[in-house]
Formats: sequence, structure tokens, C-alpha cells
Amino acid sequence: MFLSAALRAAVSQAGRQVRSLHQSAARAGGAGLFVHRDTTDNNPETPFEFTPENLKRVEAIINNYPQGHKQAATIPVLDLAQRQHGWLPISAMNKVAEILEIAPMRVYEVATFYTMFNRQPVGKYHIQVCTTTPCMLCDSDSIMQAIQNKLGIKVGETTPDKLFTLAEVECLGACVNAPMVQINDNYYEDLKPSDIEQILDELKAGRVPPPGPRNGRFSCEPAGGLTSLTEPPPGPGVGVRADL
Amino acid sequence: MLRFPAVGRALAGAAHSKGCLTSSSNVRTSVRASSNMVEVFVDGKPVMVEPGTTVLQACEKVGVQIPRFCYHERLSVAGNCRMCLVEIERAPKPVAACAMPVMKGWNILTNSEKTRKAREGVMEFLLANHPLDCPICDQGGECDLQDQSMMFGSDRSRFTEGKRAVEDKNMGPLIKTIMTRCIQCTRCVRFASEIAGVEDLGTTGRGNSMQIGTYVEKMFMSEMSGNVIDVCPVGALTSKPYAFTSRPWETRKTESIDVLDAVGSNIVVSTRGGEVMRILPRLNEEVNEEWISDKTRFAYDGLKRQRLTQPMVKDSSGQLVQTTWEDALTRVAAMLQGVQKSEVAAIAGGMVDAEALVALKDLLNKLDSEALCTEEVFPTAGAGTDLRSNYLMNSRIAGIEECDLLLLIGTNPRYEAPLFNARVRKSWLHNELQVALVGHEVDLSYTYNHLGDSTQVLQEIAAGKHQFCQVLAQSKRPVVVVGSSCLQRADGAAILSAVSTIAQNARVSSGVEEGWKVLNVLHRVASQVAALDLGYKPGVEAIRKNPPKVLFLLGADAGCITRVDLPKDSFIIYQGHHGDVGAPMADVILPGAAYTEKNATYVNTEGRAQQTRVAVTAPGMAREDWKILRAVSELAGVALPYDTLEEVRDRLAEVAPNLVRYDDVEEANYFKQANELSKAVNQSLLADPLVPPQLSVKDFYMTDPISRASQTMAKCVKAVTEGAAAVEEPDIC
Amino acid sequence: MASSVARGAAKAVKPIFSRDVDEAKRRVRELYRAWYREVPNTVAMFQLDISVRQGRDKVREMFNKNKHITDPRVIDMLVIKGKMELQETINIWKQKTHVMRYFHETETPRPTDFLSKFYIGHDP
Repeated sequence: MFLSAALRAAVSQAGRQVRSLHQSAARAGGAGLFVHRDTTDNNPETPFEFTPENLKRVEAIINNYPQGHKQAATIPVLDLAQRQHGWLPISAMNKVAEILEIAPMRVYEVATFYTMFNRQPVGKYHIQVCTTTPCMLCDSDSIMQAIQNKLGIKVGETTPDKLFTLAEVECLGACVNAPMVQINDNYYEDLKPSDIEQILDELKAGRVPPPGPRNGRFSCEPAGGLTSLTEPPPGPGVGVRADL
Repeated sequence: MLRFPAVGRALAGAAHSKGCLTSSSNVRTSVRASSNMVEVFVDGKPVMVEPGTTVLQACEKVGVQIPRFCYHERLSVAGNCRMCLVEIERAPKPVAACAMPVMKGWNILTNSEKTRKAREGVMEFLLANHPLDCPICDQGGECDLQDQSMMFGSDRSRFTEGKRAVEDKNMGPLIKTIMTRCIQCTRCVRFASEIAGVEDLGTTGRGNSMQIGTYVEKMFMSEMSGNVIDVCPVGALTSKPYAFTSRPWETRKTESIDVLDAVGSNIVVSTRGGEVMRILPRLNEEVNEEWISDKTRFAYDGLKRQRLTQPMVKDSSGQLVQTTWEDALTRVAAMLQGVQKSEVAAIAGGMVDAEALVALKDLLNKLDSEALCTEEVFPTAGAGTDLRSNYLMNSRIAGIEECDLLLLIGTNPRYEAPLFNARVRKSWLHNELQVALVGHEVDLSYTYNHLGDSTQVLQEIAAGKHQFCQVLAQSKRPVVVVGSSCLQRADGAAILSAVSTIAQNARVSSGVEEGWKVLNVLHRVASQVAALDLGYKPGVEAIRKNPPKVLFLLGADAGCITRVDLPKDSFIIYQGHHGDVGAPMADVILPGAAYTEKNATYVNTEGRAQQTRVAVTAPGMAREDWKILRAVSELAGVALPYDTLEEVRDRLAEVAPNLVRYDDVEEANYFKQANELSKAVNQSLLADPLVPPQLSVKDFYMTDPISRASQTMAKCVKAVTEGAAAVEEPDIC
Repeated sequence: MASSVARGAAKAVKPIFSRDVDEAKRRVRELYRAWYREVPNTVAMFQLDISVRQGRDKVREMFNKNKHITDPRVIDMLVIKGKMELQETINIWKQKTHVMRYFHETETPRPTDFLSKFYIGHDP
């Protein structure tokens, strides 16, 4: 912990927030406690019902698995419920259990295990900022700071207009495009503070900016241009003994 | 977590296949040919084991105990505690002994440097987050973690960081949780989902913040919930009523038998200073395995309340006043001497031991009376109680594991005999047992084919007209169980006759071997089989028809007979241990001993004679029941010819020798003859549906004088009806 | 008859102290006097809840209990035992309860028949 703090201080000027060693993504964002407490907007009476088209999807998902293995559909059906409702109230989990004919506890186990299931309300746009080592080295802290300044919320909070929820997450697997932010299903990569501010402005205006790198890269090719494979590929037979 | 059985069950259900699947873990694995055996070595010692045996079981066979936390022989293998790591010679890393099947020629090193190092490491990690509160922990002294850290742990700690803390859960008035102590072995989770069949417990979260709980605020609603206390290897789940009352090394343990239902679970009564501190299960594979129901475990505080401790007589103003034994007994004797032979009758209750039953019978017989009844009704038409096979659980409890089709009639075994139900669930889970039910639809913790709740269904099955008859005919080893509660009805004899016919037809159609028993009766009270063996008449109808002048109630608390049924000047003697229903209407009260206070014989629903032992002395002036009857007989001038327990048991052996062959089941037979006799029953079935009296879990807790006097059981009823939060607990809990 | 056998035996064997009954009786009287004088002391020293008179009566009773004995060897032996008792009493090697044991024969014997055992609640 001390080592990582020292690193952060050395690399980034904005490394002012203190993180404890054990804090994981699960603590931030829509996850929260590993026990359920009834609240006004999250209780067994919270209305949740799959829409008819989603019910068809559920049917299709269940049919992906052999007969008698409905339980296997827990994760995709939970995901569907989350996409429909924005997050997973306890009533949605109960509904999933009912559809899959398993005990509600088995659904709770899955929903609490995976951090991408939000068991607390999140805003329309769930901003997940990666702060794992590569992103941190590429100054993800400045991105985080920019978001916090722009929206006036801290990690784990939601804006009053229920538009944005900010979460700090572990590696999202886009290290080559660090720093990066995931907003709902889209990856925004190679960010500078100005980029993220622009993205947030677009989102506020109701438009979804195109995902992908922001520094002109197409994808994850080297930032300084190609260093190998620069010429067109040679035809068949290259490097093979002449007598063959 | 492995849940093969559940998957197998689901598959079987989906494919509508019957018995075509080989079950993944047979409850009773047959001994295979020795040529299949695999030779392995444990610390160089050779041992032959079946293929598929785990390393841990192979070590156990040699007598080497491997330390473990998550492994439990009656639960599925989880393999998550890693305490059972052992070195296998020439294997690159240690293996988890509980989950690893042995291979031919393996040399398992259970005490090598690597093994010891692995254990020490695992123990260090387990202790990293385990609080060091052993001095205030109720598990102290019987804690697996404590014992194993002494045996296998390191002598010092390198841990300097903070410990994890977990919020306690409210699981109801029986189980106290201190979740910080939990080591996530998931034994309780597996117990709940596999044995109890209540999927209320689970693991939530992940990694360091993983915890065991119910996620939502919820009571652990099972009739066997107390067993998670025994299953828990640490002090995370402890007994709430027992909290902070005593230490295991302070208590004296007495092996005894439970009498709160007809299963006769084997128990250990822990006592300290003449007080029952707690009740624990005792291993008996034939009866209760190693589980007991919550009533058995927690109703003991009822033994300290509402007790009759002094003889009492009714004075001129109609008040019961305390008196001496001489006075009370003299009055009783005077009444017995002053009446004609037909004017005295006796009713035996549900928790009376065989010794008292035989003493009462001898006493009344000496007074020339034959009016001896039990409270529990059993039809006497047809063969009635003359053939023993008619009123026993002939297949035995363990026999359920061998059958492939179970037909339950008019019973809710989950609450009438929880351990029997656990056995059915076990067989349903592992042996593809099919269950069908005629009676009110109830939650039995397993799926069953509900055939309806009217008596007409019974008639149809008996006549072979119901479609279920085909299923019965295809079954190889059918078992039919009728609940004694439905035989209480006015048409009990007709029901028994129909059931007997169904059983006989099933026997014929399935073509099972001669020794296989089909017909079974599941009793609800502990004394019934012994009473019927001794020749008591079931039911109080005879007494109602012919009201006696002197009525002797021996622990009769079901309220079958009230003052209204008797002539005005009749004299009622109540002998028993609780001031419940019977005592208030008595003219004389003779305080008796409860089941923890006497050496007594009880016969369970299988016909298995078992004996209780004296754990504590009876409170106040209370005496053992047969002694009271013996004293009455002497004063009445018809002294019974026995002065000691041995002599009473000799007398028992004269009347019914099976009653003193302890832990043995006397086989009963003559099913065919019983069925033929039952055909002569001239009674028609009533139209009322078959509804057992105990439908939901709230009906389970308070059924007899002891559990009705128990505060813990009252709290359970409250928690079940109003939620666990409604029960107020002292702050220390 | 029994006494003649005893006398015959006494003649054949070596006496302890006394050559004849008279001498033995003299020793008994000496012991009795010693006890008689000691009783007030004993009552005081042990703080017994009895009077001196009761103590002396008890001494007399204990001596009378053996008055039928005529064999001088037996008498001598009893005298030796009595002296030992006396010494233990004088030196307060005994405790109060040991002295009071002489007065305990009024204890009720345990019952043996079923009904009496039942009434006192004593297990057989």
C-alpha cells in the first residue's frame, strides 16, 4: 500500500485521494453492501416485470442451455433485467429466480459476486473510470478529477438529475489505450481531461459520442505509428529454400 | 460448490425418466468386486480402496485423520478451506484430500514436511481474519479451528494488519450468529440446501468481503435449522438459548432418547448441577443419522417451567393445594379400593414410558379393570392392533433409502417426523426416489406428485382405477406410509383398510421379495407403539361410552376427555410432569418425571425399543412414574410384584419381550392376513379432505406439554408469524 | 461353655498384662477413673453441647456395654483401646465431630421397603 501510494504521488499530481488496500470496485458504483436493506426504491415490492420482447429473449436464452439446466441462464437473464431496469432491485432478482425456478438465494449469490451487476440505483450513464496501474501511470487520476469537477460528484455518487454515476474500477482490459473510461457499454480511450469533458457535454446534450480512442488512433495500434509490419505482406513462398 | 445431485434430479424430472440415471453418489454404495479395488499407500502403508474414493477417505480407512473444515461426510464436497492439503509422492504440489480421487499406486504423505508446511500456511491465512475472542466464544472447547490450530498451526503469527469484520445476521430465535468468526467453509449453506432443503443460506459477495448469510433479512425457516450449529466448525453459528450458559467441559453428558416425536432420535443431554443445559444429537445411522429437529434440540427449557413438583389435592373449595405423598397416595388408594371393577379407567398420554405403561396396566388389571386407553386413536376394526405389522413403520426409517416409490397418505412428515422427512429427502436427492402424496398439499422440501386430498383418491387407488396405479405397478420397491393423524378421523378404519389394500396390491404388482415391507404407519407420539404392544386400547371412545367413576390420566394432555364427558362425582387422578391440559381438571395430582429424569423405555414408530437415562433428578417431590404406580398399588392393597427397575423390565419382557431388546427392531409380518381382515371393515370413507394438523412450520414448534411450556418454542412461533425481528432478545445475544 | 473354652485358651497362651480377671478389672477401674476425671476437660476443650453429666453417663454406658466380657486378654485389649481413645481426646488429636460420634446412635436407619424409600425419595 505504501509503495503504491509513493508511486502515485511521484507520477501524478492529482493523487490526493486516499485509497485503502482492500477497496475494490465492488465498493464503488452500483454494488454496495453484500446484504440487502429495504429502501423506498429497492424492496421486494419495487415494481419489476420483464417486457414482452425481453420475455422472448429470456426464452431464447434459456433455450441455449440443455433441458433441466435453467439455472445456467442466471447471468444472462440477470444482465437482461439490468439492461431493462438500469440496475437490479431485489424484486428483479426475485423475478429472475421465479422465471428460472431456482431459489432466490442462488440468484443473490450470483448478483453479489459479479461487480457489473448494480444492486443500487445508478444514473442513466454509468461512468467507470479505470485506475489500475497502466491507466494510473497514464494519469487516469486527472480524468477522474476532471469528471469530479465537471459533475460535482465523488466516486460512488450519482448526480442529482440521475444522469451520471461515477465509479472507480479495476482493469477493463484496454491498457494499450490508457487512460480509459467505460460509459455504459462504450469504451472511451486515450483520454485527456478535455476529451472527457467534451464527452460528458455530449451526453448531457442527449447525444452519444462515438466510442473509441480520442487521439486519432483507429484502435490499439502503436501510438507512434507502426514500427513493424510497415510494408505490404510478402506473397507465398518468401524465405523458403529456392530448391523447394 | 458441487451440486450434482440437484442437477441429476432436474435432469430426471425434465426427461421423465424413471431410474434410468445412475445416481452420482449412491447413499448406500454397494460393495464392488475386489478386482476393481485400487491399491494406494498412506505414509507407506498399503490399503485397498474402491475406485473413486477420495484421498481423505483412503486415509480415514487406515486410521489417519486429515484436518478439515469444509469437508463433511454427509454433505457434498466443497474443497474450499484447503485445510486437508496433503502431499502425494511425486506430485508437483499438495492436493486437497477431500476432493481428490485416489489413483492407483499413489503414496499419500500425511505427515511430510511439505504437508505440514501447507497446513500451517492455510491455518495462518484462516486465522488472519478470525477474531481472537475464544475466551468469550461459545464454541470454545469444542471448536475445530481451536483444536486444529493447536495440532497443525504455527506457534506464532506474522499478521499485523487489521482484521475483517462482518455484520451479524438475525436468523431467528434459535441461531446466534457472530459472522466475523466465519471461515466460509459453506457447511451451513450446503446443509441448508442439501439436508434441510431450505435454500435460505448462501454466500454473498466475493473475495475478502465474501460473507455467509441470507442476503435479505430473513429467518432461517427450517425445522432442522439447529443442526447448522453442530455443523459449523467455528463459533460463527451458535445456539441462542445456550449462549453464555456453560462450557462443554463443565457439563455431564448423558446419552438418551428424544420423546417429542415418534422417531426416537438419539440425543446427548448435557447437564450441569442438576439442570439441562442443552441437547445435542447422537449418531445413530438407523434412526436420526447425526441430525435432530429443532424441537428436540431447543424445547428443553420447557423441562424447567410449568412443572408439577408437589403432590396436590383438590380441597373443599375446589382449589388444588399442595400436600404430601402420603396424603395424596392414600386418597388415590382409597378411591381405587372404593369402586367396582368397571368404574375405574385409565388414559395414557403421548410421552409415557413403557415401564409406567406396564405398571398402570398391571395395577388396573389387579383391580379387575380392562379400561386402559391411549389418547392417540388407532382404528381397531379389522385386524386393528392385534397384528403388530398394522401399526408399525415396517420398512424402517433407513429402509426409505432402498425404496424407489413412496406414497404418503394424510401426513405431513416434515413436521410430524422431521428426521423421517430428512431421510426421504436424502433418498429423493441421491437415489431418484419418487414421492406421491394423498392429502393436503404441503411443502415437504422435495417435489412430489400430488394426487389430491380427498378420500376418493384413496378409494380409486385401492380399486386400481386411478392412473397412479400404473406407477405403483412399475415400481420395484414401493413403500406406502400413512400418517397416524389421518387415522384419528371417524373413518380411520376405512382409511387404514384402503391403505392396506393399496399396499397389498403394490406388493403383488411390484413382485418384491418376501421380506420387503410396504405398509407403514407414521406415528406422532412416542408412547403409542409401546402402549399398543402392551395391549392398550387406542382411543378414548370406550371411556366416553362408559364413563368411569375413577379416571387415571397418565400424562394425558391432549384433552381427549374433559369433565363434561364424565359423571359429576367422578374422581380424576392426573399423573405427569407438566401442569398442562390434564392437571387442572384433576382431583389429585401425582408429579412424575420427564424423559430426562428417568431410566425408561420408549419404542419409536419403527418398533425400535430404546432407553432414556437419568440426566438430572426430577424436581421437587416428583418421582419416576412406575414407582408412583407401584406405591399406589401397595396402598390400594394390590401391591405390584416389582420393586426395582430390573424387575419392572422383567415384567415388560414377560408381556412384550421386544420392549427390552434395546436398539433392536422386532420384525412384524402377516400383511396379507391383516389386509384380508381389513376387508371386513364395514365403514365408509367420509368426504372430508385429508388434512394433517401440522401444515406449516408454525404448527411444528408447540405440540406437547414440554414444548408448550418452552419459551424458546414460543419465540419460534412468534418469529415465524411476525418475523425474526419481532422477537426481543437480551443485549448479550 | 464359651467361657470355659476361653479360660482354657487363656491358660494356654501368654497373657497381655493381666494374669487374672481381678488384675484386669483393676486396670478397667483405673481407665474408668481417668475418663471420669477427663470428661469436664473434654466438654470444655471441645466446646461440646452436652453437660458433664451427660458425658459421664456416656462413659459409663460405654464401659457397661462390655461388662459381660470375662476374658482378661480381651479386657486388656479393650483397655488398651480405651487408653488410646483417651489419649487422643486429651491431646485434642480428635475433633469435635469424632467425640460426638459416641452420641450418634439415634440416627434413623435407611428404609428398606419400597414405600418408605418412595416417601423419602431415596433411590434404592
